Order: sequence, then C-alpha cells, then structure tokens
Amino acid sequence: MKIVVCIKQVPETTNVKIDEKTKNIDRRGLGGVINSYDLHALKAALDIKNQVGGEVITLTMGPDDFAVSLQETLALGADKSVLLSDRAFAGADTLATGYVLGKAIEKIGNVDLVLLGQQSVDADTGQVGPIIAELLQVSQVTYADKMIAKNENLLIKRNLGTVEQEITAKLPLLATITETINEPEYTNVVEIAKSFDKTITTWHAKDLDLEDSRVGQAGSPTIVCSISSPEKVVKQGHKLADDPVAAAKELVAALKKQNVLAEDE
Amino acid sequence: MDQKQISKEILLRMVKSFTTNEVAPFDMEIDHTRSYVNDLFNKIKKYDFLSTMLPKEYGGAGFDGETTAAMINEIARGNASLAVTLEGHFKSIDQIVKYGNQALKDEYLPQSKSRIIAFSMTEPSGGSNPLGIASHAEKKGDKWIINGDKIMITNGGLAEIYCVLVKTAPKELSFFVVDKDMPGFEYGKQENFLGLTGVPVGEIVMNNIEVDENHLLGKIGMGKEIGDSAHNDARVLMGAVLTGIMEHELNIVTDYATHRKAIDTPIIQMQGIQRKIADIAVAKETTKLLYQKAAWLKDHRQDYEQEAAMAKAYGSRSAVKSGDNALQILGGYGYSLDYPVEHLIRDARAMEIAEGTVEKMRTEIALIEAKNRA
Repeated sequence: MKIVVCIKQVPETTNVKIDEKTKNIDRRGLGGVINSYDLHALKAALDIKNQVGGEVITLTMGPDDFAVSLQETLALGADKSVLLSDRAFAGADTLATGYVLGKAIEKIGNVDLVLLGQQSVDADTGQVGPIIAELLQVSQVTYADKMIAKNENLLIKRNLGTVEQEITAKLPLLATITETINEPEYTNVVEIAKSFDKTITTWHAKDLDLEDSRVGQAGSPTIVCSISSPEKVVKQGHKLADDPVAAAKELVAALKKQNVLAEDE
Repeated sequence: MDQKQISKEILLRMVKSFTTNEVAPFDMEIDHTRSYVNDLFNKIKKYDFLSTMLPKEYGGAGFDGETTAAMINEIARGNASLAVTLEGHFKSIDQIVKYGNQALKDEYLPQSKSRIIAFSMTEPSGGSNPLGIASHAEKKGDKWIINGDKIMITNGGLAEIYCVLVKTAPKELSFFVVDKDMPGFEYGKQENFLGLTGVPVGEIVMNNIEVDENHLLGKIGMGKEIGDSAHNDARVLMGAVLTGIMEHELNIVTDYATHRKAIDTPIIQMQGIQRKIADIAVAKETTKLLYQKAAWLKDHRQDYEQEAAMAKAYGSRSAVKSGDNALQILGGYGYSLDYPVEHLIRDARAMEIAEGTVEKMRTEIALIEAKNRA
C-alpha cells in the first residue's frame, strides 16, 4: 500500500506568541517540532505498512529548514520524504495549503491512503485534510481512532467525542487521525544517523501543475482581522446551605433559574 | 543546515520530549526509591541512548562530544542520576575507542549498545592517589591474572563490563577490561550515598580473573594517562549534568517566585529574590559555556583539560550554591523532602568530589596556567 502522511512543523506550543502586525504566529527564534497529531498519523501509517506491506512517504510544505522534521520522520521509519518549498507558497491559509499538498500527492501518483493528524496544535482548524480529499476527489474519514486493513478496505472506528462510528472504507482514501489511536515511539538514537541513507526530494512551485491564483497569499481568502485571548472572568461563588437536603433544594432551584433544569424536572 | 546540525536537532528534540514525559515526572521517585523506576533503564536501552557517542562502525550513532554533552544536559534537567549513569558509560566507551586494541574494540564496543561499561580506579587505599592502589595483574604465560578490590564505582552493580586500574609492577599502573561473566568476578557492597541516589555505586572483587593480552587497555604503564583522559572526558559531561541541575533549580524558583505572593505582590518583583534568581541564571549559563567550550575543543582535537576542570569545579560549587539560594527562596517548601530542591543540592554536592575533588581541579587549573606561561 502506498501511504502519504502529511506533516506540519509547529512551534513548541509553550512558546507561542502572536505577531501584532500580521496577526499570525511569530515564528522567529522558536524551536520547531512535528505537530503531535501528525506523529500519531505517521505511527498509524507505519502500523498499516507492517500489516500489509508497501511504503510510507511523508510530505510537508514550508521553508527549507522544515526538512529537519522530514528527516525525523525518516528516522521514525518513513521510507522517503517530499518537501514543498517555494517563496510563492508563503502566507497560505488552509485552502491554499491543501491545494499545494493535494497537487503534490497527485504528482507522487498511485497513492492508496493519505493520512494527517486531525488538526494542528498551532492553528487548530482541522481543515487541511478535508480540503485535500475534496481536491483529490477521494473519500474522507475524519477522527479515525482505530484502523485495520482488510481485503483492500480499511475498517475504521471514528471517535466523534460522544459518539463512535465503525465504518468500512474503500481505497483510495484520506483519513485524519486522533491522538488516542496509538502511542507514537520516540526516535531511536541510532536510526537518526541511518536516516540519512534515505531521500528527501524538494519540489518547488514550478515542479507542480499549479494555478498561480490558488497558491500562497493570492489563493488564501482567509483574513485574520484580530486575535485576542479570552478575558479571564472570575464570578462570585455562592455557598449552599450546610444541611444536605436544603443544599440540594437550593441547588435545584438555582439550576432551574438558570434554565439548566426545566421547571417540571 | 548540514547533516550534523540536523542530526543534533532531531536528537535534542527527542531527548527533550523523552525527558519531559519519561524522566522529569519520576525525578522525586528515583531519588526516594534509589532506582530507575518507570522501566527507565530498559527504555534508555530500547531507544539506543547507550550508543549516542559510539562510533558508527561499531553500531553507534556517532554523535560528537558537543552533541553528547547537550543530550546529557537535557536529561539532567529531568533527573541528574540518569545523566550521570550515561556519563559514566560514555567516558568508558571513550577510553576504549582511544586506547583499545582492535580486538578489544571489536569485542566490547558493539556490546556497549546494551551493556553498561564502567571505569574503576578507586580502592580503599587510593582514589586521587592512584599509586596507593593494591589491585594488581601478574603475567603467567600469555595470560594476565588479576586480583584486587575496586570500590565506589559509578554504575557499579549495574555495569557488566569494567575498565580496571591495576599495578603491573610496584610503580607501574595499567588498565585491563574485565567482564562480570568471567570466573573470579564478584559484585561487592553497594554504597549508600547522600545524593545522585539513582546511580548505583558499588564494589567489585576480582579473584584470579584470567584475561588475555587483548584485554589490556592501551599499553603496560599507561594507567595514569588513561585515568587522566577518562577524568577529562567525564568532567566535560559533568559540566553538562551540573548545567541541567541548575536549569532544574531555575525552573523551580522562577515558577515559584512568579506565583508566590507576599501580601499582593509576586515575590519575583522583590529585589532580594531577583538577585538570587539572577545569580542562579548567571552560574547556569557560565557552566554551560564552559562545558560547551571544553566539548568543542575536544571535538576539534585541541587541549580541553583546563576547560573541563573549570566546568566541573565552577559548575559543582555553583550548583550547590544555587540550590541553597533556591531552597531559601522556597522557604519551608525548599527544606521539605516532599519538594525537589533539597535533592538537587545533594546531587550537585556529589560532583564536588567525584572525578577529582574541587581542590584537585583548582590545582590542575593553576598548574596549566603556570605551564602556559613557562
């Protein structure tokens, strides 16, 4: 099975600051790491490869130094990597990012399965996976929490928070992966050195069949107008009566007043 | 970035994550139970930490001294004992790489991926004075027969392979490599030390252990040179451990002083507290620069003896003093066994003694100064 895993290099979340002018994350001087959800997606891909054979290709879009994260995926067991790097890609929102990633997956060719983390920890949109699936016109399964290959299908359990859904999906397919699907391994120290025997290919804009109007800022309809942290509001507490029966009655009355409980409950 | 920089970045990303998730949460438990809980030692082996600086031709990752020291620094931020266990292993590998004959390298370096190697010089009758030792090796035919008793060995009991200093003549010191599986090898008493309690420190007893010539490390009479070399390599990494301890201290006090209020003011706004925190930060950064310079010199095949001694001498005293400052800032919490500051002082205190006392470091630093001006 030919599996592509899209990964994103994100700043270490404890260090995130917002650039007041651009309203984007200020990445200057920040250490990068692989988006934690994507590590689960990579592990899921490697598990399927172990089950049915094939190859795992990791893919990312970003500046040249994002190659560090691709190298890390090779040390973790991916077979090869593709870096999409071009100044024309700068300023891309989820739509323009999904477009370029999708075109790269088309160029890789004959891909059976595309995996991504369910969202990134810096932007938290969860949109890029579905955008790629639409572009490639393949089925998509979001929030995949368990995945087993069976007779050229994937048996997938989706975790939708309060609901679980078990489905059988035909390939080719795109799935986004939860953080509870598996436990990613740490990178093996010796495998870091060995990973340099594998290949990272860099593709620029000219290497892909792209429409200029759909790339980078030109292809990004999203405008961040402002960004702020929610105000911390501390509300005055209220102490209920000491007697448990009286306290319960008081609590029920208060909840009805707030419309949390209906009057007749 | 070149291959070396990328490798270093990936290693440090992984070690940071490993330390945060697997080591730091168990720091107090390691100290209290005197053992590597959370199956830590097996995890260290599983992810090939033991092979970090082992040359690639023996199955290692082949990282240089700077990167290896940075990795030790990161682990020590979570737990200093585990960092010292790795330091003891790495310094021993270093000596086999530098001085071992090819047969010895071929036999033991691949094994070092999963078996700890320890370096043992100290005996009841001699530590910093190596000629005071009683262990000896005697040549019989084409074999060497080794007898003696080595104590206070870092990783003693955990390690399975030992580089041992013995006398091969009344005033002649040499190193041999022995294996725990050799007839005549026995483990002895384990020490009950004040700090770095996760690190097993113990004794080995050698009763007529028979080894061939290949187990001689270096040449006959090179004991002092190899011992000095091991000390130098250890001191570089100890600077990294001490930096990690001070980073740990700094994290604790900064976090505490930011949240702890006196009346309505966080105590970090008070000059008396600020001065203590600033002193810890300066000491941490100075020690870091010293060990990094020593490691850089070592990687570039230049003399690093003085810088290594400085990193250990300055770093160990500073980490103890910084711990004392941290304890004072935390007040009663600092003095409590239920909080980590007190064990950081005990951990740092060990390094004013191990691998040569602070006093011996100063002598070496001064003598090098004199030599440079001669």
